[in-house]
Amino acid sequence: MQKDRADPNLTPSTIEHRHIPGGYHGNYLSVNLGPDDQTPVTARRVPLDASVLRSFLGGSGLGTWLLLEHGSATCDPLSSEAAIAFVFSPLVGSPLTTSAKFAVVSKSPLTDRINDSMASSGFAITGKGVGCDALVVTGMAASPSILVIDQDDVRLEPAESLWGATCSDTQRQLTAHFSSGWQFAVIGPAGERLVRYATISHDSRHAGRGGSGAVLGAKNIKAIAVRGTQTCQWAAPDALLQLAKAMSKKSTGPATEKYRELGTATNVLLFNRLNTLPTHNFQQGHFEAAAALSPESMSIARKRTRAYCAACTIGCEHLYALSDQEGTDSVRLEYENLFALGPLCGVGDPDVVLTASRRCDELGIDTISAGGTIAFAMECVQRGQLDQPWLRFGDGAALLRAIELIGAGEGFGRELAKGSRRLAESIGGDSIQFAAQVKGLELPGYEPRSLQTMALGLAVGTRGADHNRSGAYEIDFSQQADRHNLVPATAALAIDTEDKAALIDSLILCRFLRGIFTDFYGEAADMLNLVTGWETTADELKEVSRRIITTKKWFNILAGWTPVEDTLPARFLNQPLPDDPAAQLDIQQLSAAICMYNEQRGWSPEGWIDRQHLEDFGLACFDRRAMDH
Amino acid sequence: MSIRVEFYGIPRHRTGVATTTVEIAGATALLIDVVRRLSDRFPSLARDCFDQDGLRDGFAANVNGERFVSDASTPLVDGSCLLILSADAGG
Repeated sequence: MQKDRADPNLTPSTIEHRHIPGGYHGNYLSVNLGPDDQTPVTARRVPLDASVLRSFLGGSGLGTWLLLEHGSATCDPLSSEAAIAFVFSPLVGSPLTTSAKFAVVSKSPLTDRINDSMASSGFAITGKGVGCDALVVTGMAASPSILVIDQDDVRLEPAESLWGATCSDTQRQLTAHFSSGWQFAVIGPAGERLVRYATISHDSRHAGRGGSGAVLGAKNIKAIAVRGTQTCQWAAPDALLQLAKAMSKKSTGPATEKYRELGTATNVLLFNRLNTLPTHNFQQGHFEAAAALSPESMSIARKRTRAYCAACTIGCEHLYALSDQEGTDSVRLEYENLFALGPLCGVGDPDVVLTASRRCDELGIDTISAGGTIAFAMECVQRGQLDQPWLRFGDGAALLRAIELIGAGEGFGRELAKGSRRLAESIGGDSIQFAAQVKGLELPGYEPRSLQTMALGLAVGTRGADHNRSGAYEIDFSQQADRHNLVPATAALAIDTEDKAALIDSLILCRFLRGIFTDFYGEAADMLNLVTGWETTADELKEVSRRIITTKKWFNILAGWTPVEDTLPARFLNQPLPDDPAAQLDIQQLSAAICMYNEQRGWSPEGWIDRQHLEDFGLACFDRRAMDH
Repeated sequence: MSIRVEFYGIPRHRTGVATTTVEIAGATALLIDVVRRLSDRFPSLARDCFDQDGLRDGFAANVNGERFVSDASTPLVDGSCLLILSADAGG
């Protein structure tokens, strides 16, 4: 196999003489793939200042800072100059449960805004073992390639034979080709064909939302292979081990019982009962066939097994056999793929939903955006606004055909591959009013009219409509708010969930741990201090969370954000949910809550960030840099 | 008075039933009264989902599919439907 060698000058003497906090390597690996055959891949280690690490931690926070450093806010996300960052964290490799995680951060080709998606397992540990806190990839390989990072040896290997292979086949072939000790992040056919919601897959898990797979595909990179064994020092290893043992014990207690015993799919029955299970492209909140899709029913008819990410003690993954026959494939099933490929498309056949979910995973497609875009097209057909008569709600064969067309880049699949917002722009008429997306990102499985604090979280999210960066639904499912009546005072509660998510995604830990903490920020500070040797506090980490959210917002402003983006589609405003008349959200209510949200973040009522605020967070420098870029 | 109870998530897993009915003398009852009746009927609920003050952390109650309640002294009227559920909804 011909190898395209990197610049071997990878050892930064400057790093050796700086104080590097525990848990960090103190640098990121910057890889430029080169613009053509004549320019070989180059790689260099770039020192990361300790103040940057303490201000942004890792994962999502550090990744957003790195993207700003590379001027990516103003780039076309599918261009050669666009950067994509694989970011680890100080906790990766530590004994703390669920800490084997990495963030993939880039500008989204679906939203043209910041995108950060998380994945777990060995790629995080081995990637950090290369001796860096992040990999940042720019440029574009001249032909389909594998980016191979073997400690200090960075090279490209040809990937023509893998081009077109599914995520799982790619993973299998790479595992067979490379010796042991390697880990891989791969794209499927959807990433190669620049489907705007293509995923990056590692070990059957996906950095799913926002289309990072297309960003890698645009660079002609089918896979990134990493091997490395460098470790970091822990500031207080004995105390860290004791803390890790206590956390592991709590992680197998009542706070994670639901995830361990039933998985997230158990939401289906409750959401259906509360009229908040999005059905037929959000035309209803109740699905007649929901019971058949529940894990309670499915586990009677088919074998169910559990799986764990590396370094995890929870084991939330529930895999269902595709049929009741012994030896059949199993499919990882979460609430989000169940809702998007089931009720949202009017499909109630568990076999179809499991098959659709598996095909999305194989092709490397985000299940929420796939289901959301297909359901939107189905409604356009229903209304006579789209001439694809085969694409009907409730037709499982049509759902599976649509997914295949998206993955193959054939026929109407090319339109579906653009996502619901671009498809609506192409269909025209009033279709944008019922394209269920915010900033171009399709809504997750939470009906905003019957979960109105979540409606606020969806509207203001920097990534678009999102249930991972905002946990505002937790407020709706509590006594703290009236889920049918959004009031401005609720904004503070939504902010609190967003801030906690920002910290979790930058530490990085699994959000399913959140229930085990009684003093989240204080306990997070304890973890960080034992790893890094810092003396950080709960208050400092609250400030870090707010800095990270503001940094994402600043990225979006530089990318062209305006206040009109922070809203919900017309479908959700001023008309009740047909099967729940109490579920009505007025535009004035939403606008007032958004205004309060912005003010409580320290931004203008419309959501702009003033110069002083930028300077306080050390972000003002990026203004000039983005303009220069 | 009669209260219909629906179970979701772990509470349904523990009881093995989707619904039950609790009969309590008088015109009103408190949430804690229903919790105690359910504890007597379903020891697994008492062990894993309830404590002496009501619902344990990680569990929630909802009245008639509308209001979420956690205060054990929340009054319930005849014919109410009480949902007992796992609190975390994320997925």
